[in-house]
Amino acid sequence: MSFTSIQFLIFFPAVTILYFVIPQKARWAWLLAASYYFFMSWNPYYAILLAVSTVVTWTSGLLIGREDLRKRPNTVRRKKIWVALSVFVNIGILVVFKYLDFFCGLYAEILHIFGISAQAVQFDLLLPVGISFYTFQALSYTVDVYRGDIKPEKNLGKYALFVSFFPQLVAGPIEKSKDLLPQFDEVHTFDYDRARKGLLLMLWGYFQKTAVADRLATLVNTVYNSPQKYSGLEVAVATVFFAFQIYCDFAGYSNIAIGAAQVMGFRLTKNFDKPYFSKSIKEFWRRWHITLGAWFRDYLYIPLGGNRCSKWRHCLNLMIVFAVCGLWHGAAMTFVIWGLLHGVYQVIGLLTRPAKQRAEQKLGIRENSFPVRLYRAAATFVLVDFAWIFFRANSLWDATVLIGNLFRFNPAALWNGSLFSLGLAAPDFWAALLGIAAVTAADLLSRRRDLRQSLLNRGPVCRWAVYIAGTMVILIFGIYGPLQSPSQFIYFQF
Amino acid sequence: MVKKAIWKSCLFLVIIGTILAAFSPLFTYKIDHRGKLLQGLYKSDDTYDVVLMGSSHMNGGIDPNVLWHEYGISSFNYATGGQPIDVTYYLLKEVLKKHKNPLVVVDVYYLGMTDPYGVSGFVSNALDNVHFSLNKVQAIHNCVPFDERLFYYFPMLKYHFRWSSLTQKDFTYDSASVYYAKGFGAGTSHYGKQDISYANTQKKDAIPPKTLSYLNKIIWLSKKENFPLLLINLPCDYTDSNKEDGWVNDCEAMFNTVADVAEKNGVAFLDLCDRMDEIGLDFSQDMNNAGHLNIWGAVKTSDYLGKYLKENYSLSDHRSESAYAQWNEDYKKSQAASVAGG
Repeated sequence: MSFTSIQFLIFFPAVTILYFVIPQKARWAWLLAASYYFFMSWNPYYAILLAVSTVVTWTSGLLIGREDLRKRPNTVRRKKIWVALSVFVNIGILVVFKYLDFFCGLYAEILHIFGISAQAVQFDLLLPVGISFYTFQALSYTVDVYRGDIKPEKNLGKYALFVSFFPQLVAGPIEKSKDLLPQFDEVHTFDYDRARKGLLLMLWGYFQKTAVADRLATLVNTVYNSPQKYSGLEVAVATVFFAFQIYCDFAGYSNIAIGAAQVMGFRLTKNFDKPYFSKSIKEFWRRWHITLGAWFRDYLYIPLGGNRCSKWRHCLNLMIVFAVCGLWHGAAMTFVIWGLLHGVYQVIGLLTRPAKQRAEQKLGIRENSFPVRLYRAAATFVLVDFAWIFFRANSLWDATVLIGNLFRFNPAALWNGSLFSLGLAAPDFWAALLGIAAVTAADLLSRRRDLRQSLLNRGPVCRWAVYIAGTMVILIFGIYGPLQSPSQFIYFQF
Repeated sequence: MVKKAIWKSCLFLVIIGTILAAFSPLFTYKIDHRGKLLQGLYKSDDTYDVVLMGSSHMNGGIDPNVLWHEYGISSFNYATGGQPIDVTYYLLKEVLKKHKNPLVVVDVYYLGMTDPYGVSGFVSNALDNVHFSLNKVQAIHNCVPFDERLFYYFPMLKYHFRWSSLTQKDFTYDSASVYYAKGFGAGTSHYGKQDISYANTQKKDAIPPKTLSYLNKIIWLSKKENFPLLLINLPCDYTDSNKEDGWVNDCEAMFNTVADVAEKNGVAFLDLCDRMDEIGLDFSQDMNNAGHLNIWGAVKTSDYLGKYLKENYSLSDHRSESAYAQWNEDYKKSQAASVAGG
């Protein structure tokens, strides 16, 4: 059940109304049942893997907690064993369902390099929706209990709800147990203002997804599915469009998730914070997919030594984290290269920082001046967007073709109408640009004020005009319905 | 607090629903099917002694202007392309709201459909042009898959993407401009091939369960509402239909069962596939394609049907009535249009 389906538009109000109607004691059970129904609507068998991951991490938490209580010799070693077992089972499931074909193919390729002929075994297992998200969230619980950040949850049902909570189950935000688990014990009463804020955020999410991301997708798909046919300006436009497509797609999903949870009284972590205004790649990763970045920081980067080590080790840590981050997104070399590129960006940034700072001092460049900030934001966007080519391309070969074609300058595309023959006719093309402008403007304005609160402070006529106009904009300009081809949320495949 | 939220949510939904309902006609395609249904169902004040219902076979097979010119029969063709029999049932109920006890002629070709629901675009062509009522709700509930129903209640949700291609015609559309044809519309091609599927078989095949239930509903409705019912099958080469997914494998055998059902219920069934020689049809010249008559074939078939109706039913000749003065003009216009088209 996708957030953009009619089923969800019935499911969500029904679940919410009943959530506030039933007694507090039964609410977690109701949400758990609703979450499993939500998940099983894709494929009932997916629930088995979700349940296995839940039971394994919950049991590991209990066993680690028991070791703490017993205080036997070798407690730390025993705790580590339970953590390792939990990690092994969860990552094992992830590898089998997501990476088996990829690793088998890679193995065959390596053998081929050494002149050994081998046919890659293809298992073609169905990739369960959201497996990377809930696996990471469940694993974080095991590690948090091990670190003593949270006490083991004794109630399997409540823990199962933590792993399966429907707003963020299939594409995050990836929540930490200490943030989300205690919320299931809170008493939530219906709060009208909170519900309005949540619904407004959902409305914005639907706009980002249906009116902007899915419209941009039409042009992006046209160019990226036939890379050899397009050059210069067409590839550049498609690549810029993809930057906003993936942003609006994923941020749209996150906003719907956070808004839906907020209506019910739950606080989910912000996942995007104006990422394309970042002035460095490092800053970009503090603003893009924030909860995944935090996960990698807390459970991989810091355990590897983070930046409290030699510079070379620091660089290696960065490369490892971003290679894994790329692989997390998908079982393909394109994603690995995308991750590595971000690692390289960061390493270069790290190594050149002293020289850059010295040069800036000598030239008297003020770091906070508007032109410098603008230049840095633009440069960061170009780097990020260049990396997106690998992320979106259907294969490494396609990515190289696209990059090659990017430099085949064809300014005539600006006036000969070829930009309007990429799946978006002129009105739709301009609507796409308007969508990008609207999203950028909203990001710009929200730097200084809470836009939702500003709207809610206005009079009823203004508020209702915005609610109705916003809804009608989505209903008219959105890509949905039986006669159009709406795209699945991109991050569902991860 | 909860009551306030529910009240405001309802108000919000009513406002959005009203806007969608108000703008749906603007976004709906202005094709001839829209024009004829709006006229035939709601706008025209003419009364019809005969109403013609069904799919494209009927739409392009029986010309009310020929029935009028040759026999003085007032009729209207409500058939639309790809119209499943369940949609025909609800459309007939809509027709009966305005026209009491007409002779109802139902094309039964779509009894062969085995899929539970018709092709969305075809169903839309009919239901999008029916005004909101309990009958429309029931039609949508029974003829449309669950996840598409909202798009039928508010067609603007289905056609919203037309914002970029709306033309002057969408704003000023006048359905009266197509009324002269009385719902008829046939092609002007010549198929050029003979019917290779026809076999005078006694074999009988079952009617698919859903379409059979709607055939029974139509028969039951004729008894309840007390109107004469004539089931009709128009000339067709079943070769492709028999191979089609979502269709019975032997149309000829199924229509033998239809004949049995009709006889059992005391309803007339006219299988024109068995009467092509009587009609004087040359399949290669009088068909637009394997399944549809062309305008020349339609004239012959309409003439044959008019004669059959005159002989078997008590139908008045309205040609001299002043209330129908415009119908003679409409006939001339339809002939001119046919000549221009041919």
